[in-house]
Amino acid sequence: MRNLIRSEFKKIFFLKSSRIYILTLIVLSLVLGLIFSLTTNVTQGKAITDLSSMDVLSANMLGVDLANIMLIIFTAISISKEFSTKLINVSLVITPNRKKFFLGKIITFFLLSTAISIIVVILAYLASQLILTVNDMPRVTLQDLAVRQFILGVMTMPIFYAIITVAAVFLFNSGAGAITFSLGVMALPALIKMFSNSIQRTLLPVFPQSAIHSLAGVVKKGSGESLGTIASMCLLLAWIIMTSLAANAKFQKQDI
Amino acid sequence: MIEIKNLTKKFRDKIAVDNLSLIVRPGVVTGFLGPNGAGKSTTLKMIIGLINPTQGEVKIDGKNYKDLIRPISKIGALIDGDAVNPKFTAKQHLELIATASGISIGRVEEMLKMVGLDKVKNKQIGEFSLGMKQRLGIATALLGDPKTVILDEPFNGLDVDGIHWLRGLTKELAEQGKSVLVSSHLMSEIQAIAERIVVLAQGKLIADMTMEEMTNKSLSTYMKVNSENNRKFKSLLEKEGALIQSMNDEELHVHKLDMKQIGIIARNNNLAIYELTKIQPSLEELFIELTEGKADYVSNVESKERKGDRQ
Repeated sequence: MRNLIRSEFKKIFFLKSSRIYILTLIVLSLVLGLIFSLTTNVTQGKAITDLSSMDVLSANMLGVDLANIMLIIFTAISISKEFSTKLINVSLVITPNRKKFFLGKIITFFLLSTAISIIVVILAYLASQLILTVNDMPRVTLQDLAVRQFILGVMTMPIFYAIITVAAVFLFNSGAGAITFSLGVMALPALIKMFSNSIQRTLLPVFPQSAIHSLAGVVKKGSGESLGTIASMCLLLAWIIMTSLAANAKFQKQDI
Repeated sequence: MIEIKNLTKKFRDKIAVDNLSLIVRPGVVTGFLGPNGAGKSTTLKMIIGLINPTQGEVKIDGKNYKDLIRPISKIGALIDGDAVNPKFTAKQHLELIATASGISIGRVEEMLKMVGLDKVKNKQIGEFSLGMKQRLGIATALLGDPKTVILDEPFNGLDVDGIHWLRGLTKELAEQGKSVLVSSHLMSEIQAIAERIVVLAQGKLIADMTMEEMTNKSLSTYMKVNSENNRKFKSLLEKEGALIQSMNDEELHVHKLDMKQIGIIARNNNLAIYELTKIQPSLEELFIELTEGKADYVSNVESKERKGDRQ
């Protein structure tokens, strides 16, 4: 399995376009976070100095959303390209055990998204510290449980969506299908929030966004999204397991 | 050794491979022939697990391909020379495979040199000609020093030098004791390298025999005989069980008797023989004989022309 994962990483990093994309993703997420935190007087109608330190950190962390979307696209395109170029023929001759091959992809993109997520979150955290220092505001500290929870919660988002995107490529046998699926799962809660409270309370808890928001501690108590830590983790795991099982079942039967 | 037992693949409205059973033996080059749509590529893909059989099984040294611990050391396959990411260089492509299989990078360099791509190893594959891609595919197939080598249309796009090189390579691999299964539309190439021939048509096994057996069984193989009295000699040969297909004043076309038998009959009857030649069909003629009427995709124009010729 270790050799397979090393080979999968080579598939990604041998390509100059992938290296540039990942670097762009990191830079853009940082820039977007900075833009959000420096334009609060336009976006929130409040000067940055009127915000709490946590709000500044939150604004910077919005860049992670962009990183998440870009990572979904990257994951879907990277894997679907293996099918469209027929390189999958060669890959499966070397690793004919499709369960192992699928698991190798999941682990590779788990590791990649974890690394990217950590980098992006650290950069957003440092950027917010810089902005707080420049504006003579109290800096956020990792000793604060709420800050730690928020950062860890935000960090889970790109990792989770990268994994379900891997599964979705195999499930829909299409990069576009996988992107639509992952972005759909991300965006549907916003649509549900347009409906009545009872509908929200029924539907929102089944979407991963509720779990991620709950893990980050940004959900108001009593709202439709509110879940406990264990329930949140179970929900994310359930999504990963269900999509992976369906994808793997389809991949096993698929003629290449 | 590859053992195929009752292998069947049904697609929605078509049986691509129909109850196929055969053994790919070590130490010989086996030519895998069949008209378009005969099921050759489907069979090859089922051997390496890219296509799931509807029925039957393929065993490699007694195991399913998917269950092999280091499959690349058992089977090396070139199924499609285009099955590469054109953005990778030749070296990167082989390095990916070597890494996944735990093969040293030194072996990658060795293979690049062997297939003649060492000078262009750092070029993107997208810039390669079809022949260069085929060479890379062959390097991929041989990277793990496999016991069995499967090559699907390996001559496609190769130049004269490449064809000559591949002929030698396949024979050399067989001499090393490897099983070599080569599918090709180029009959002359298969005739030049294969000792054994497997023919598929409409998914069914039509022939699985050595080239010699196939030639001997063919109706196109005959003895061309010219004697001092062809009419008399014809009746003498027929008494001994010969089938005379064509006779004119100049020659007899004799089936079912070999040269020695014909010579003895002539001597015993004091008949002088002016000509005794064994006429052997080319593989292409044998192939046409075997697959006549069993091809799925035939040009209508050609069929009409053929009908016209017969009339």
